[in-house]
Amino acid sequence: MPSRRRTLLKVIILGDSGVGKTSLMNQYVNRKFSNQYKATIGADFLTKEVQFEDRLFTLQIWDTAGQERFQSLGVAFYRGADCCVLVYDVNSMKSFDNLNNWREEFLIQASPSDPENFPFVVLGNKIDVDSGNSRVVSEKKARAWCASKGNIPYFETSAKEGINVEEAFQCIAKNALKSGEEEEIYLPDTIDVASSSQQRSTGCEC
Amino acid sequence: MQETELHDLSDDADYAASQLQGSASMMRSDSISKQSSSSDSDGAEIVYSKDNVTIHPTQFASERIGGRLKLIKQGSSLFMSWIPYKGQSSNARVSEKDRNLYTIRAVPFTEVRSIRRHTPALGWQYIIVVLSSGLAFPPLYFYNGGVKEFLATIKQHVFIVRSSEDANAFLVNDFQNPLQKTLSSLELPRAVSVAIEPSTSFSAGESPSNENQQRIDGGFHNESSSISQYNAKQRQKVHDPRDLSIQVLEKFSLVTKFARETTSQLFRESHGNGYGAIERRNHDQSYFDYPERVSSVKENVPDEIPVPSDPLEDHLIQASILVKQKISCLKHNHVEEAATNLGTFELISCKEVDKLTLVWGKPRQPPLGSEEWFTFLDSEGRIVDSKALRRRVFYGGVEHGLRKEVWALLLGYHSFDSTYAEREYLRSIKKSEYETIKIQWQSISPEQAKRFTKFRERKGLIEKDVVRTDRSFSFYDGDDNTNVNLLRDILLTYSFYNFDLGYCQGMSDLLSPILFVMEDESESFWCFVALMERLGPNFNRDQNGMHSQLFALCKLVELLDSPLHNYFKQNDCLNYFFCFRWILIQFKREFEYEKTMRLWEVLWTHYLSEHLHLYVCVAILKRYRNKIMGEQMDFDPLLKFINELSGRIDLDSILRDAEALCICAGENGAACIPPGTHLHCLLMVYYCTLNKMTSCKCGPDSGHDVFVLKSIGRYLQLLCFVIAGFSKPSY
Repeated sequence: MPSRRRTLLKVIILGDSGVGKTSLMNQYVNRKFSNQYKATIGADFLTKEVQFEDRLFTLQIWDTAGQERFQSLGVAFYRGADCCVLVYDVNSMKSFDNLNNWREEFLIQASPSDPENFPFVVLGNKIDVDSGNSRVVSEKKARAWCASKGNIPYFETSAKEGINVEEAFQCIAKNALKSGEEEEIYLPDTIDVASSSQQRSTGCEC
Repeated sequence: MQETELHDLSDDADYAASQLQGSASMMRSDSISKQSSSSDSDGAEIVYSKDNVTIHPTQFASERIGGRLKLIKQGSSLFMSWIPYKGQSSNARVSEKDRNLYTIRAVPFTEVRSIRRHTPALGWQYIIVVLSSGLAFPPLYFYNGGVKEFLATIKQHVFIVRSSEDANAFLVNDFQNPLQKTLSSLELPRAVSVAIEPSTSFSAGESPSNENQQRIDGGFHNESSSISQYNAKQRQKVHDPRDLSIQVLEKFSLVTKFARETTSQLFRESHGNGYGAIERRNHDQSYFDYPERVSSVKENVPDEIPVPSDPLEDHLIQASILVKQKISCLKHNHVEEAATNLGTFELISCKEVDKLTLVWGKPRQPPLGSEEWFTFLDSEGRIVDSKALRRRVFYGGVEHGLRKEVWALLLGYHSFDSTYAEREYLRSIKKSEYETIKIQWQSISPEQAKRFTKFRERKGLIEKDVVRTDRSFSFYDGDDNTNVNLLRDILLTYSFYNFDLGYCQGMSDLLSPILFVMEDESESFWCFVALMERLGPNFNRDQNGMHSQLFALCKLVELLDSPLHNYFKQNDCLNYFFCFRWILIQFKREFEYEKTMRLWEVLWTHYLSEHLHLYVCVAILKRYRNKIMGEQMDFDPLLKFINELSGRIDLDSILRDAEALCICAGENGAACIPPGTHLHCLLMVYYCTLNKMTSCKCGPDSGHDVFVLKSIGRYLQLLCFVIAGFSKPSY
């Protein structure tokens, strides 16, 4: 459905419980922060209109439950995703260590047509906490991991203060769009899907 | 315009005769009106016109609706219409709405299947017109005679034959089939869905209120009259299979009436202005209705995607007819017939009939209060009849002050036959037991915790969740709230008590109301333990508990609303993940705090089913089925829609729906029920009814008046069975 691809961009936010997935989504879509968000049960999504080069897109941002136990639900929510956002809390090593699990779980459940080049974006959230003094994951460490996974674009954010959130989602949308366009181009060519891997940009310019 | 609706009857010989009879129940028509001309510019010609043809919506003479029956010829087609008189100020009880409901607008005879003439020894002649759709109009009583003339006129214009089986039945458009076959070929569900059809396009904007419910319930009040009258008249010949088939026909006419009423209610509720427009149209319309007008009314229906009607609703309507029959028979025990020069009047004592509210579940009751609570207890505090208590809580919940005591019982923490003293003793035992478990994690030193990742993670997860659990609710709001700390302690203790299950998101939602009610750490813990005995599988690591419940929900929807099921199937929604939150935490996020507590205590009674929550799911889905299908929601919009229902669902009406659905599905759902069970049950009800027994207990739960509903699935078979002329089974 190329027409759907052109107008709707589906983005999935994953990461451990309490890293700020719901807050990031709400900060981006509603420009609001609340410390009263409840733990997400099941899944929900918000939409936002974004414009690129005179074209209007609907960014559909999916917020999912963070507890590992609910991962088996992903299969219903991940399908058709154009971009996956991996979020960790810079104050929690565990949440960073789990990024790999989230990434792999996503690729298994969403089974995108070209897993090698499926666009991810990594966000290190909660940089505002304790003015950075409680930080346990360094930016260097995070960037190194992103580089090792095919130059995943990386942003350090604060959903609470609204730091870098807009920029991060601009990049997310751009990557989602790219992913959609590639599918438009390559999906009809059922014979030669694998060889298209070098086509994708390896990073985000922004 | 209204003036033209009134009638000059001075030239009508029958009318004059009726005036001499001085019937109080007859329609007054004392204004002058335009005399209906016998021809018209459209080429329509009135070939028959009869005044004071009346329908009897209820047994009350004051609610009878008089009107003019006409046969109209246009080209080669013959149409029948019956337009009620307007402006009968003496008839305050007959509303404009009722008149509109019953109006028959120019029905072409190509759509008429049969007409049966009834000539009772006492009272007026009447006819029943059955359409080829299976729909039947209410009996039309000819106060001024004229049935014969009516049939003769039809005969001049339409091919009509007298049934070889029944001299009083006339078949239209039927060149060979005897009546028996005609009748047995009637498909009842289709008949009803035809009647309901318009409503399906209207309900897209339905509100979560329960008005609809109440109105539908209210709609039952009027239906029993004609049947009770027939029963009176046919008392002697009830064993004749042919009369049974006629009674079935008469029931069809009630179906029609009920369906129309429902349609109109739905119409008005969801399209307030639209309905008004149609009402105005009716006012503006001359009493002479052209077929073209019918189509113009149809155009007023908003253009929406047609949605398949709810089969269960159709069946419920039919069941209500049976129930009503039962009621009417109950009434009949108190009927005195007074023969007057006008016919039969029935004086009805209604003392028995008021308690029967059936179809969509019983009305909710006020919550159980302390005075009543003590009636359930013996002197030592045992619950004498736990089923009665569960039933009471099921229908009304409990007052907040009693929850502490009642919840502990419902959850099984205390047993129903425990005494005050035993409960007190258990409390103290359990308190120390709780402390023992709690100290297991409290004694973990920071040094030990460093090497205990699982504990740290679990504690971290719980701490993250308790600070975002119901913080806007006063009991948990503010910084350093001690109740939030209690939530944490109880959950952490639970994760040691049940180390395998551990902590899972959603548990804090379940504990929150329990702590609020119990106001005691240990008691809350043990009640939570009892609750997790029931809900634990929801939180299993492999999510099997959730998957099996979602699967069961899928099966229930398939059973209770197959069009909706098919819709979900087509739209790849059969995983029912959009109901995940509902089931995982028992609708905790869907209702406000107090309503959640009410719902939970109802669910916890396990009164009708331990799976009532699944029926609540079905009830909510069914309530919004037309919106879901009408707006063609697929998975994403459906999930969004369901999530956004939060806080907008009317609990009481959903509980009533869920109750009814649970009863309907109960035995139908169980594959183990031997075939024919329902038929057996329903036949018994039916014959009990015919034999005017005051009660007939055939449901497993005889205290429940809804037993008739158990048989809905077989209702159609029953009708075919009866219509096909089977003789009375020997009971």
